Amino acid sequence: MMEGRCAAESWAEFGLLGKSGTPLVKCGTGTDVFICTGGEEVYVFTAQEKTLRVSPSYTLGESSGILRMGDRLENCCCCASNVCKSDLTFHLFGDQSFSHDAGSGPTELKISTECLVAVADRASSLLVVGSVLLTLCRTDASWSLTLYQIQRTSQSDPCDLLASFSLPLVSPKVQSDAESRCVLVCVYPGNLMPASSPPHPLRSHYPLQPLLFRRLFGAEAALSKSPVVLCGLPDGRLSFLPLRIPGSRLRILHSLEQSVVFVGASAVMETDAGCAGCLIALGKQGRAVLIRAGRAGLEGGGGTRFTLGCVPGPVECACMDQSRVYYSTGSDLLMVDLWDGSSGTAGRQGDKEDEASRSNPAAFLTPISLNVSGVVALHQPTYSSAGEWMTPHMDSLSNGFILFSFRASVLKTIIRSKNQILKQLNQVMNISFLLSNRSESDLKPVRCRGSVRWSRLLQRDSLNLTCVLENLSPFILERGWTLSVTVLPLSCPLEAGGEASSVNYSFPFSGLGPEESVEVSLPVATAGDASFPVTVTCSLLFSLWRFLGQEEATAPLDLQSACFSLPLNTLTVDWLDALRLSDPPAPARSSSSPADLLQGFISSRQLRCRGGGQASRPEEYSARVRVSSELLRDALGLAPGSPRVSLLEWLLSEGCGGVKMERKGIKTDGSSSVICGSAPDNATVKLTVNVEEKTKPLVTVEVQVKSSSVAAVCGLHHAVMRRIQVWEASSVGVSSGQTPPLLLRVYQQLRDGPLLIL
Amino acid sequence: MIQSASLLESWTQENNQLASGCKDGQNEPNREHNLFRQRRWSSDFHKLLRKIQGIPPHLDRAQLELSVVYNTCVCFTAQSQFDEAELLLTQTAQRLLQIAGDDPGTSDPSVLWRTALKSVTGTALHRRVLSLLCLQWGVWLAKSRLTAVQDFQEEMSLLEAQSGAVWNDCRAETKEKISNIPILVLDPRRLVDLLKICTAIVQGAERLTEGWSVLSALQAASASPAPRALIAYTHLLSGSCLAHMNRPQMALQCYRKALETDPRCVCALYQSALIYSRLENSQAEIQALRILHSMLLLPSTTEPAMAAGRLLSPSLFLCSQSLSSLLSVPSALSVLHSLALKCVIHSRVSEGVECYLDLLAALQSEDQHGVHAVVSTLPKLPRLYLEAGAALLMARRPADCMALCDEVIGSTLDLLPEKVLLEDPVARRVAGSGEVTEEAENGLVRLLWTAAAYLLQGHCYSQLKDWKQAVTHYTRCINLLVKVHYKDTGFSLQIPCADKDPEQGVDLCVLQRLKGLSLAGRGISFAQIDRLREALRDLQLSRQAHPEGVSARRWYGEVLWRLDRKQEAAACWEQTWSNPIPSLSEALPVYAQELQSGPLLDSAELHQKLQELGPT
Repeated sequence: MMEGRCAAESWAEFGLLGKSGTPLVKCGTGTDVFICTGGEEVYVFTAQEKTLRVSPSYTLGESSGILRMGDRLENCCCCASNVCKSDLTFHLFGDQSFSHDAGSGPTELKISTECLVAVADRASSLLVVGSVLLTLCRTDASWSLTLYQIQRTSQSDPCDLLASFSLPLVSPKVQSDAESRCVLVCVYPGNLMPASSPPHPLRSHYPLQPLLFRRLFGAEAALSKSPVVLCGLPDGRLSFLPLRIPGSRLRILHSLEQSVVFVGASAVMETDAGCAGCLIALGKQGRAVLIRAGRAGLEGGGGTRFTLGCVPGPVECACMDQSRVYYSTGSDLLMVDLWDGSSGTAGRQGDKEDEASRSNPAAFLTPISLNVSGVVALHQPTYSSAGEWMTPHMDSLSNGFILFSFRASVLKTIIRSKNQILKQLNQVMNISFLLSNRSESDLKPVRCRGSVRWSRLLQRDSLNLTCVLENLSPFILERGWTLSVTVLPLSCPLEAGGEASSVNYSFPFSGLGPEESVEVSLPVATAGDASFPVTVTCSLLFSLWRFLGQEEATAPLDLQSACFSLPLNTLTVDWLDALRLSDPPAPARSSSSPADLLQGFISSRQLRCRGGGQASRPEEYSARVRVSSELLRDALGLAPGSPRVSLLEWLLSEGCGGVKMERKGIKTDGSSSVICGSAPDNATVKLTVNVEEKTKPLVTVEVQVKSSSVAAVCGLHHAVMRRIQVWEASSVGVSSGQTPPLLLRVYQQLRDGPLLIL
Repeated sequence: MIQSASLLESWTQENNQLASGCKDGQNEPNREHNLFRQRRWSSDFHKLLRKIQGIPPHLDRAQLELSVVYNTCVCFTAQSQFDEAELLLTQTAQRLLQIAGDDPGTSDPSVLWRTALKSVTGTALHRRVLSLLCLQWGVWLAKSRLTAVQDFQEEMSLLEAQSGAVWNDCRAETKEKISNIPILVLDPRRLVDLLKICTAIVQGAERLTEGWSVLSALQAASASPAPRALIAYTHLLSGSCLAHMNRPQMALQCYRKALETDPRCVCALYQSALIYSRLENSQAEIQALRILHSMLLLPSTTEPAMAAGRLLSPSLFLCSQSLSSLLSVPSALSVLHSLALKCVIHSRVSEGVECYLDLLAALQSEDQHGVHAVVSTLPKLPRLYLEAGAALLMARRPADCMALCDEVIGSTLDLLPEKVLLEDPVARRVAGSGEVTEEAENGLVRLLWTAAAYLLQGHCYSQLKDWKQAVTHYTRCINLLVKVHYKDTGFSLQIPCADKDPEQGVDLCVLQRLKGLSLAGRGISFAQIDRLREALRDLQLSRQAHPEGVSARRWYGEVLWRLDRKQEAAACWEQTWSNPIPSLSEALPVYAQELQSGPLLDSAELHQKLQELGPT
């Protein structure tokens, strides 16, 4: 029968995922398994791997129980307002063609009101004992246990109500969260299972050691050999009702003070001979109570021992075989061996040890993890027909596995993806530590290099920055990282309000291994409206959305908290970088085209006007910077032969936090090297480097900037100064943090008062 | 206006469809569960009503609205939703007054209805309002608000008087243009008839002690056209009334009439049994109990048969407390137990034994019928076993008795307390809390069960003339009984009587009885094996524990005689001469009484001995 022991069926295949509520799994005959997801439907899983959906034909609430009655298989849906039953075996096996016709899809079985057994509002649990159907309902002020006589003769009549017992609610507050189910089990004295019970003992029915039975439920119950119903309520009370005693009522056996999840019985002693010598109840938060009979004759009356303990919770569901309790915390399946713990030995060794275990409740019940996670429902292993427990441990365990293996493969992928996520998260953490632990001046192992180039597109010149992100760290930047580049002009044209606005670009990339690089390109400025220098801030972003999977769209998680950024280095694009170099102008044609000429004219006009209307013809502004050539040689390591060219090259190189630009046309004649070009505002610019020897013994190199545009002169002067300052700071040791603001101030003064020339 | 007219028409049609579906549904076999049907009907009618009441009340539509209200309320009442029905009725009365322009300024239903009735007097609406008032009457009755019903006695009688004419008129009208008249789910005349007799019954039950006036009202009601079950109730109530008036024979006549009217009226049978018991006519009582028991086993008697196929069941209106206590009958098992006990006490032992065995079998069986009575008058199970054992002993079946006792001992022995401490009953009464000593009492009760089982076993062995075993079992009994201690040492060991302290008194009385009986039994057994000294000691102790014990005293004399203390023996005998062994009573468990099961002393022989002694 159990050849399918190792079979694992993914629950997802049945389309049951996404249903709310704790599934309830019960074994039917053979390999049929009923699954209740708490919705309106009951699923039957057969060995043929077919799902049969049972759906009541009228609107019903939650179905929470399936029962087997007698030797026939009947399905009881316990609904919010009704209890109905139908004879499933007939439809399942008696009418084979019916289910074959339906193909591989789920077969729907209508249950009409004719199947109504009893009307029980808000029934939360069901049990069949002999020919009596018990329902446990929650009313406004009490729990009520109602007994119905199951009539076999006519299907249409509802069952006779036999009796109803009630137990007042403790307090409405405790009950308010009582969505959880109640536990109903039945215990019998000795091996006195009812004669009409099917060959296989049922779940929730336990034979109890006669001594324990007497001690717990009294002489009357023992004398009448009455089955006793145990109710575990969500408020933690464990109450009992002997069924066959006239005038009996629901009484409290114990209170766990937390929602009772499981009540079972187990044979702790070898001498128990098929009867359970120990009653165990598990609470939702892991509190457990073991109830056993004390030593005979030691004390009269209450010779029962209640051993309290705790297991790591929460307990989602549990089942037990001969002496072990298996329970699931939802993330792990754990096993508690009642034999092994001190509880087993205490039973054999007198009361001293019992006292010890009572004073130290955590001493017993040490669970062992079975490394199966996410078990949502457990079913009790099958017993042999003789009423003995099936002993082999693996057997019983694997019986359980069949049932929860519905979800195993789904869970496996979930676990795998969780592990993956953890791995990724680890990488992310490594990288973020790597990047955040360094001070500003250190070279970061992940950084950006930039180069600019003018390009002409659609009659419009624009300066493009190509950013190269280099990963020099030993870690992989995995998928999920984004390179964010913010372009912020340090100042902007006065017409724009003087308020610089930044532009943000982000480039997601997919994986960047060590020593790899990725290149992105973005526009920095267009000709004409440029305002330099421009700060380009690079940072890496990582979004936690990635780990949250599909819910990205739905969950309104705060964007700020969901993503974090690691700053990389900052690049500066200044006038020097934005220079468009050209061949040195022939004296005849200072401007290449009439448009340029006109533009130059207008620019100079503007400047003049702003300057207060000085000269009528465009005049040349110039600025000079002198640097000791020895210093240059020593510190920059410039080629001694041609310091001027080298200086120019250096100025135009990317060496000091700037960006690389295309380089051409450095012209050298005699003592000076010249490059010509046009500034972004289209003004012609001439950069000359002379070696001045007249100031001996200090030989200096003079950098002269000449342009008709004062803005260009200022900008270039600032750029040159900045480079030298940065270089000076890094080589001489001046704090670099202070210089840029200083420089900036100077530059801004220059800009604001264009006539002030150094 | 056209639209309004067509609306009226469509609503009328909808009502008529629902109502005829409802009427048909009652006659149909049980295709759908009754409850679902009723729920569906009432929700359908209520939906329709909400549509109608969605617009302001108007005279044109009043006829239809009142009819739909009537139908809805009938459905609500059928499902015991009296509050909903009453709310609806009050709202309707208010809407009616809106049409008339009256405002009584109160929501008191009686004022509302009076005003409403006045406002429609002489119009076509009058009979509709009357039928609604009828429903209000039903609601009051169901909620046992008899004063409200009485306040409207006048209007009710008006209702009855007019009902014939008005509704006949209505029927004629119906025939005339069938489609335009809204149909009612229940003929109001039937409702009036039902309510009339139910009111009579409930009022009768409430004022049972008032004597002749009630009796005449009940007699009048019994002549009215009504279901048999209800007529039977009127006879039953007449009987109870007569019983209150101390006329048991007339009461019995009434009960008989009730049974003749409705054979399922088992409460009449039960009340008869009670009367017989009061008359100490034990044979008739046993007979009545026997019939009652067999009737209770029939499945049809337990369910109210009068509800079959009808929309409104009379039981909806018969929920007054005093009535239900009068109509309640103990469960079949309780009846069987009292039957068995009566048989045993009134020396029909073999019958009693059969009843006890039936009772035990019923308790063991899986068939749960009757076990879960709301109030169980059955004694605790071990006591039942012991009573059955005593009956078996009296029927000279010692082996069976011993088996039963073994079961009791087996289930209680390891639950017995080491010792039982009893507080001074006086102090206990001052403390006044029964719960504190509950555990101790449980221990005492269990101990008494076990001791009684040993006592019965001792009796069995002495019946089998196995004196040694008898001594052993009596000794076990005594050893258990001496575990009971009194907390207050100053407390004198007086024998408490059952009537003085009803809580613990019975237990203490049983304790003393058991002590006396077991000591006497052991003494007699010792006497049989010629251990006269031990016999004398035990019999002496037995007389101390239980001075009324007759056989102990007689045997005490016998042992004295055998010890050749003939004068003392004669004195002892003469003392006991006058009082014979008392017959069994119901006040104490049978097993704690003298069962005359042991060896008896022939009184003629004693006489002879006395006469021998006399001359000397």
